[in-house]
Amino acid sequence: MKLKLTRRDFLKASAISLAVAGGLLKYAKGDIVRKAEEVQKKEQEKGYKLVKTICTGCAVGCGMLAVVKDDQWLWIEPWTNNPINRGKLCCKGASANYIVHSPRRLKYPMIKRNGKWEKISWDEALEIIAKKLHEVRQKYGPDAVFFAGSAKVSTEMAYLQRKFMAFWGSNNIDHQARICHSTTVAGLGNTWGYGAMTNNFNDMRHAKCIIFFSNPSEAHPVSFYHIYEAKKRGAILICCDPRFSRTAAVSDLHLQFRPGTDVALVYGICHEIIKNGWYDEEFIKQRTYGFEYFKQEVMKEDYSPENVEKITGVPAEKIRKAAYLLAHNKPATLQYAMGATQHPYGSQNIRSFAILQLLLGNAGKVGGGVNAFRGHDNVQGATDMCVLSHSLPAYYGLSEAAWKHWCKVWNVDYEWLKSRFSSEEMMHKKGFTMSRFAVGATAEKYGWKLDQPCPIKVIIWWGHSTASVGDLKLVKEAFESVELLVVVDPFVETAAALPDRKDGIIILPACTEYESEGFVTNSGRQIQWRNRVVSPRFDSREDMWILFKLVEKLDKYEPGLYAKFTANFGGKKPEEIRPEEVWDKEIMVGCITIGMLGQKSWRIKRQQEYDYTFSEEDCRAYGGPCDGEYWGLPWPCWNENHPGTPILYRNDIPVWEGGHDFRVKWGTKAPDGQSLLSGVNPQDQIFINGVKWCFAIGETFEEFIKKNMVPSGRGRARFYAWNMKDPVPKHREPLYSPRLDLIDKYPIYEDEKYGDFHYRVRIKARSWQIAWLNAKMTEVFPLIWTSGRQVEHMGGGAETRSNPILAELQPHMYVEINPKTANERGIKDGDMVAVISPRSLEYDDTPAYIIVRARVTPAVPEWLVFTPFHWAGQFQGTPYLDRFPVTDDMDTRPIVYGDSCNIINPPGWDPETQMQATKSGICNVVRADKLQEFLSQYKSKIEQLKAELRKMKVME
Amino acid sequence: MAYKFLVDTHHNLCIKCKGCMAICKNYNKTPKGVNRIQVVTINEGQPGQLNIPLMCLHCNDPPCMKVCPMKAIYKREDGIVLVDKDKCIGCGYCAFACPFGAPQFPEGGAFGSKGKMDKCTYCVLPYEPEKDENGNVIYRDPVPRCALICPCETILAGEMEEITRKLRERVGALTASKIESLFLF
Repeated sequence: MKLKLTRRDFLKASAISLAVAGGLLKYAKGDIVRKAEEVQKKEQEKGYKLVKTICTGCAVGCGMLAVVKDDQWLWIEPWTNNPINRGKLCCKGASANYIVHSPRRLKYPMIKRNGKWEKISWDEALEIIAKKLHEVRQKYGPDAVFFAGSAKVSTEMAYLQRKFMAFWGSNNIDHQARICHSTTVAGLGNTWGYGAMTNNFNDMRHAKCIIFFSNPSEAHPVSFYHIYEAKKRGAILICCDPRFSRTAAVSDLHLQFRPGTDVALVYGICHEIIKNGWYDEEFIKQRTYGFEYFKQEVMKEDYSPENVEKITGVPAEKIRKAAYLLAHNKPATLQYAMGATQHPYGSQNIRSFAILQLLLGNAGKVGGGVNAFRGHDNVQGATDMCVLSHSLPAYYGLSEAAWKHWCKVWNVDYEWLKSRFSSEEMMHKKGFTMSRFAVGATAEKYGWKLDQPCPIKVIIWWGHSTASVGDLKLVKEAFESVELLVVVDPFVETAAALPDRKDGIIILPACTEYESEGFVTNSGRQIQWRNRVVSPRFDSREDMWILFKLVEKLDKYEPGLYAKFTANFGGKKPEEIRPEEVWDKEIMVGCITIGMLGQKSWRIKRQQEYDYTFSEEDCRAYGGPCDGEYWGLPWPCWNENHPGTPILYRNDIPVWEGGHDFRVKWGTKAPDGQSLLSGVNPQDQIFINGVKWCFAIGETFEEFIKKNMVPSGRGRARFYAWNMKDPVPKHREPLYSPRLDLIDKYPIYEDEKYGDFHYRVRIKARSWQIAWLNAKMTEVFPLIWTSGRQVEHMGGGAETRSNPILAELQPHMYVEINPKTANERGIKDGDMVAVISPRSLEYDDTPAYIIVRARVTPAVPEWLVFTPFHWAGQFQGTPYLDRFPVTDDMDTRPIVYGDSCNIINPPGWDPETQMQATKSGICNVVRADKLQEFLSQYKSKIEQLKAELRKMKVME
Repeated sequence: MAYKFLVDTHHNLCIKCKGCMAICKNYNKTPKGVNRIQVVTINEGQPGQLNIPLMCLHCNDPPCMKVCPMKAIYKREDGIVLVDKDKCIGCGYCAFACPFGAPQFPEGGAFGSKGKMDKCTYCVLPYEPEKDENGNVIYRDPVPRCALICPCETILAGEMEEITRKLRERVGALTASKIESLFLF
């Protein structure tokens, strides 16, 4: 075996050095923290209120103390007792009060009439919306409404959004998770049962090796508080990123691979691990299924490090090194985010990550697992509540049993609910998704086929960003073609300004999350209570009030709706219903599949009070009233005595201590006859009097847990998932692959894999690829485009681009381009350039482009360009700030603006979840003044691609 | 006793999350363009990339103090270097003298484009100091927020003795692991 390791690597890999360095490197906690706590006490004595609240910047779930006096949020103090971040914050958390006090807040409801924004009252606005909804329902049916829910709102609110659409009678509801981590849910869920981050941020400090597939230093900065703790204890950091990111800069090994070749890269590592016999044989034998099938695939010559080098561009030596380091530094944890999920084969990328961890026996271990870093502060909570078009809350799906289960929880008659849908068939049919709802709204214009009787006529856009949705040109058309567009947001979200229309838009000012209260679940499934910091500013209202009020208004047209919707809350008025009621009376009753049963509101609040009893090492309370509980009671938390399960699938500790196991989800026997029950202590799912555990409402599972039985069973993780489009992951090329030579060898999915309709629209994949291959456009678009986060901004940026501090810290949208690539094109740092991609040619005449500032940096290789995705306010070079409402006492235009890069994203949708492709596109960059020249120079080539796309009928 | 900052550049810790910059602006309410702390990057985009948070280091022998023609800059007994804005004329000499670029000038001051100098006060004074009823400036406790919230613990703040000991421990551990490697081979 040829293996070159530097001395440093070897040293780091040796166990002795780890022990020594680990002992020496323990830094003493400073006196400064103690001093800060003294200062905080003094502040309280002076009459300042210190409110414990949770940052909305990302999914780490950092706590902070808001300093409040006279209902004004003055500044932020670190919440040094919060075990997740111990007071640490990045720029988003450190400037949170400026979101609440931003001068660009939307102050009151507005309606666009005759090309002008007019102020209206809440009552009038909701009345208009209710009336329109009713009209559309009468004329077209309930499916003419598309509801974009939110991952920014509290878990109860997300749950109510899903419930609202269920009561409305349509499955056309979706939210950020679709275009964020839906492939995680499919990929991880199909491997071992649950589709969530297996461990948590704090747990990463126990890892001996961390392999990154994203850029947490910019996307989740505070996670580095724990990652560095691991590093101080001797952990090795391996960064897999096409860019030399800030994470790569502090890592020990950087694997710079071509975007979209994750599976090949991971398989290269797996190949090397198997070849050298470094895999965990015992673990595989006892706790997994289908290793042989996987081995057959991965040991193909295609995935030898040399071949992987040809596909990914990562030197074979480096792949070997990574394999060696991973295999010899256990436990190792794997971390990833959007860069891996947002691909037309995203589910398979995630599967390959899970498989790597199974191979090494790192699953279900302290310091191991697959840590999917989620994006929004409550996207885990909103995903658990399934604000998704294919499932009811808690991943129950849309089957009859699922509907009946939730009807029982909601206290409504199943037959009545059925009558709300246009037909029983529609009740079980998956609705439109965030990635392709635009087709549903524009289908009439282009003659595209839909799997529902009517196109979308009303869009409700509730706390969702526009800039993060792909194919933005079509989204703009969708916003322009519907009869009514309702946007609910604390700021004027791009959706309200992007469409060039004269009327039919209503914007409602929801208050920010700091002005309301509720439960939020961070990426590590830890549930925290977010206190209200100040009362809602201006005429903004809490999301929950708006929704209940809307239902109340609808009640006029559909008598009895409000009473049924609030059946469990005793007919209270919208302003009287508390989040805790929704939480305890419905969520904690119905969400059995994920074990959301024991996290009663009083327990979560008690944890907040006794935050200082929790250790940051394992997030567990030692002593005090919460003794033995884990911070945030991560699900599954089976009952009120259960401490929560911070690390999924650990079978080495009893269930009552947070033990768990791979789920029995696909029967007890695989199709090939092998057992799917654990080889250690096999146990099938629990049935209580013939009722499956997940439908047993009111059950505490106490007697089973005493016997160390897991309600979801003790099964095996699957290397081979027969129910997926690829039972074992395979490398596939993107639809618009820059490597024409590899397309036929590693083709994308055949069109048939998507069925006749895929989430109500026609989706094709291979046809696109063939058209692309035939057009041979790599000379016109030689560069690869990828996108990602800036540390200062968040999501679509409506909040952060209107935050004066963050806008000052990062005022620019840009494209990162290598000096060589820039020089060849005559581009200097700071020049305005056009980034052009062959997108939107399937329905439009000109290719999509963005006009942005060039940022010349060697951080991107010559073949790659990178753009952040938070930007809006400008469309293909033309600002549309004039379409934001401005009145005498209100200016809602974002402080900084730029072109939205998702106009140029490539086509491609994951066959499992319809995830959009926003990470591996192709493009070219020219100086902005040379754009027309470029377009005319390549006119015939572009026409050719258009003809090929039409020929292949990619859109139908 | 002397309060100091130390920035750990030995371990390449800073990830440029800019938490320090944001909390500083937030706590001290500095206007746009005035950054009492800034993160500078060297070797950007290449191996060896290093982010360094830079603020006023409250020097033992501050050059800014020496060159100030108005004697507006003074050093407190506890080592914190402050500027008396009533005396400052915004000439900018201090900016030339300072090796770290700490002095900041807001746009549109009385003298040309420069206003009165502002710089890190170890969080004892905000941009516009508060005064009590007798017109005396109210000093806050010397607890720098940047060091407190830094997720990577790059910035060390506190009494000189304490933080140098801490840094020495860190650097010592780094060296120890290097020495160890000599024994291994």
